[in-house]
Amino acid sequence: MNVKIIIAVVVIIAALVFGAVSFVETNVEYTDFRDAENAARKVQVKGTWVQDRETRFDADNSTFTFYMADDFGKTVQVVYDGAKPNNFEIADAIVVKGKFHDGSFFAEDILTKCPSKYEGGPEAVQKTL
Amino acid sequence: MAGAILVRFAFLATVLSGGLYLYSRRKEDAHYLQFARHSFQLSVLLVLSFCTYLLYLILTHQFQYTYVWNYSATTLPTPLLVSTFYAGQEGSFSLWTLYTAILGIFLLSYTARRNYEKEVMMVWCLIQAALLSMLLIKNPFAMIWDTFPGELVHTGPLPPGSANTVWLDQAKSVWAQFPAEGKGLNPLLQNYWMVIHPQILFSGFTAMAVPYAFALAGLIKRDYSGWIRTAKPWIVYGAAMLGTGIILGGYWAYETLGWGGYWGWDPVENSSLIPWLFSIAAIHTFMSQNQSGTYVRTNLTLAMACFLMVLYSTFLTRSGVLGETSVHSFVDPGMWAYWLLLGYIILFAGLGGWMLIMRWKEIPLVKVKHSVYSREFALFLGAFTICFAAVFITIGTSSPIITGIWKGRAAAVDTAYYVKTTVPLGIIVAILAGFGQLFWWRSSKSADLMKALAYPLISTALFTVGIVIAGVRDIDMIIFSAASAFALFVNLQVGYRVFKGNPRFAGGAIAHIGVALLFLGFVSSSKYDDKQTVSLEQGKPVPVLNGYTLTYLGSRTLSEERFGFEVRLERADRSWSVTPTMHFSSFDNTTLRHPDILNMYTQDFYLTPLSVESPGDGEGTRVHVLKGETQTIGDLSVRFLGFDFDEDQRGKMVTGEGFTIEAAVQVSDKNGKSDRLTLAMENKDGQVTFTTASPSFSGARFTLTKIQPNPEDPAKSAIDLAVEIPGQNTMKGETLIAEASIKPYINLVWLGTVTLIVGFIVTIVRRVRESGLGAAA
Repeated sequence: MNVKIIIAVVVIIAALVFGAVSFVETNVEYTDFRDAENAARKVQVKGTWVQDRETRFDADNSTFTFYMADDFGKTVQVVYDGAKPNNFEIADAIVVKGKFHDGSFFAEDILTKCPSKYEGGPEAVQKTL
Repeated sequence: MAGAILVRFAFLATVLSGGLYLYSRRKEDAHYLQFARHSFQLSVLLVLSFCTYLLYLILTHQFQYTYVWNYSATTLPTPLLVSTFYAGQEGSFSLWTLYTAILGIFLLSYTARRNYEKEVMMVWCLIQAALLSMLLIKNPFAMIWDTFPGELVHTGPLPPGSANTVWLDQAKSVWAQFPAEGKGLNPLLQNYWMVIHPQILFSGFTAMAVPYAFALAGLIKRDYSGWIRTAKPWIVYGAAMLGTGIILGGYWAYETLGWGGYWGWDPVENSSLIPWLFSIAAIHTFMSQNQSGTYVRTNLTLAMACFLMVLYSTFLTRSGVLGETSVHSFVDPGMWAYWLLLGYIILFAGLGGWMLIMRWKEIPLVKVKHSVYSREFALFLGAFTICFAAVFITIGTSSPIITGIWKGRAAAVDTAYYVKTTVPLGIIVAILAGFGQLFWWRSSKSADLMKALAYPLISTALFTVGIVIAGVRDIDMIIFSAASAFALFVNLQVGYRVFKGNPRFAGGAIAHIGVALLFLGFVSSSKYDDKQTVSLEQGKPVPVLNGYTLTYLGSRTLSEERFGFEVRLERADRSWSVTPTMHFSSFDNTTLRHPDILNMYTQDFYLTPLSVESPGDGEGTRVHVLKGETQTIGDLSVRFLGFDFDEDQRGKMVTGEGFTIEAAVQVSDKNGKSDRLTLAMENKDGQVTFTTASPSFSGARFTLTKIQPNPEDPAKSAIDLAVEIPGQNTMKGETLIAEASIKPYINLVWLGTVTLIVGFIVTIVRRVRESGLGAAA
């Protein structure tokens, strides 16, 4: 067989394997806090803000700390390097992306899911009448 | 009504024109060709009319149309009002159709003079008809009472003196009311970028369809080499437009949206990058075919891939399939639109693939004769690498679909995926962008090569030593920078020589200089940016990031919902002022954070406001104490014992009388002194007041600031306290929390982009001349 073709095939396969491995490695899986505690890699967990537990912004370290309960009710302290995210209070669900460390979940990213994204719903039409 | 009818007629005229082009080709009948032409011109006129009509409805605030109501308002200034035309899906498909129609007119006269009209316009009509079919389903002219019949349609007599009502059926006394004001444009989109960016991006999307049409036309005509020459200026034009659109979007994100960077690997961004990469790959293999006739099938495939990826991207971002995996909210357009978008991909991929397979055997396979050290081979490898990057990005962006099918739960990839997969490919591209320009067609003499390599290699070595001394330690970044620098120096040398000879031929070298600068800018501004979240208490200078000092001076109200935060920025003896702003939008209850950027030659200082912490009602150190818990403030500790809220008070609260809730706390110091304090919240006539108390042994003042009783689980009750200890200045002023970052050499990104686009323009001019009138005849 032609040496060139062999090289080409090897290169393509290597690239595909590299791509597939990267894909699997960096896929941020949706999970719950119980699984997240044992996961070494970055995961995302959906849940709700526990309002009656301590929620504060630490100005000296610039971290925002709150408690979050996942869908199974497991409550964990979440530490986020940054200020309180947009719509935090009105969100009906919160998604945190990050890793566990010393019993707390260190979030790199927080997404807030809001009840209505102000789509053109019937309530909106009534407001503008 | 009129608008929807115009859309229908435009669709019919387009289908008719396509059919007539097909028929005139079969019959070789000039008469039908004229018909086909006029029919297409009519369709363009109809598209122009309904777009003008939609614009007219928007400008005159006809809120009886759902689309107009949904995206505009009387309060918007005219340029933004115009931009609401494409704020929603119906409108952006209208804009896409409009550009397709306008480009079609130019394409018609261009192809007519090059004997490619029938075939190209046939395909073009199919594309235009497909876009129009979306507007048949997602009608931009839907009446608002048809959208919300439950809320707006009434039966009975018309209430007297009511404006904004209309009879739907007077005989049956059915009437509808419609809004007097529109919902308005999302404040996120309310700036001048919204006026320019989508327009350029859609021009780019439109242009990407041209290579597809030419490739298919070439297959139909069995002209496997001529179509390349004719299509070439168009693909360069498409790449230039789409590239400009992408980078304008990046600049928008960087400068206004405060995303912290110009690129976030978001599906919306990726979806315009993927077709662009394919077009860049195609430009390179087109050149090879031009020179030595090779890569015929590759070129046909790549030219089609550009448009197919535009369609796939549109599907990803507009069908709602990505769901909740992105920061962007994707509107679910409904089942019909979903299947239509999927149908487009199947239709155009099927058509292209089928034609390609039909002709596969008869496409001349030109044996690759060139050596490894030839420009053809470098071009091929370059294109191949770029395609791989495009495929990797496509797979990453499609992750929610892939994982959805595979694991049953959609998950997105981390942005690290894109960096990981594209950096090695970027290195290869940079090296090829250097060597490729030095190789000759077919093969190169090593003596020539060595001579040409001398200066670039020496410069690259010096540059690399320089950046290592400057502190770059990551091996991948050193290699990437060195490869980019090599590409830069080679292309500067080559470009200078070409420019001296014939400036019109310098497009390639200029574009590659742009790419090299872009790559260097990516490394410096993304990999070596410095970031820090800072708390800036009003009036207090805070040292941040290498040598800067920030002082928050105070906020001012810019408009009803917008606030500016004045920050003084100092370094050495120099001082600047930046004013990032926050917009508390009542439109959708979000906070928009607009950064302020201090642009310098070698770096940008970028400041994004995150939030403002006010000192609140009570002053002093604020603590949050759970029932039974103890908190320490300085030398004192405080324990929350519980609420005192008896039946009598509870009754008063229920009947709406004034009531008092008392919280008992135990305050102790280190010497064992302890005192029990009762702090109260009094509610009188809706006025809430909190009381302050001090323990007997200390001058510290404890003020209740918030109570959080938990009736279900009293153990989870909590209170907030403000504690002031005399002689200890614990009072905090208004504090601005902001993210400060330094983006070194970010100007390279902008300079690289401009250079790249200049390169494109020079190339287009050259290729249009080369495409020659009637050359393919």
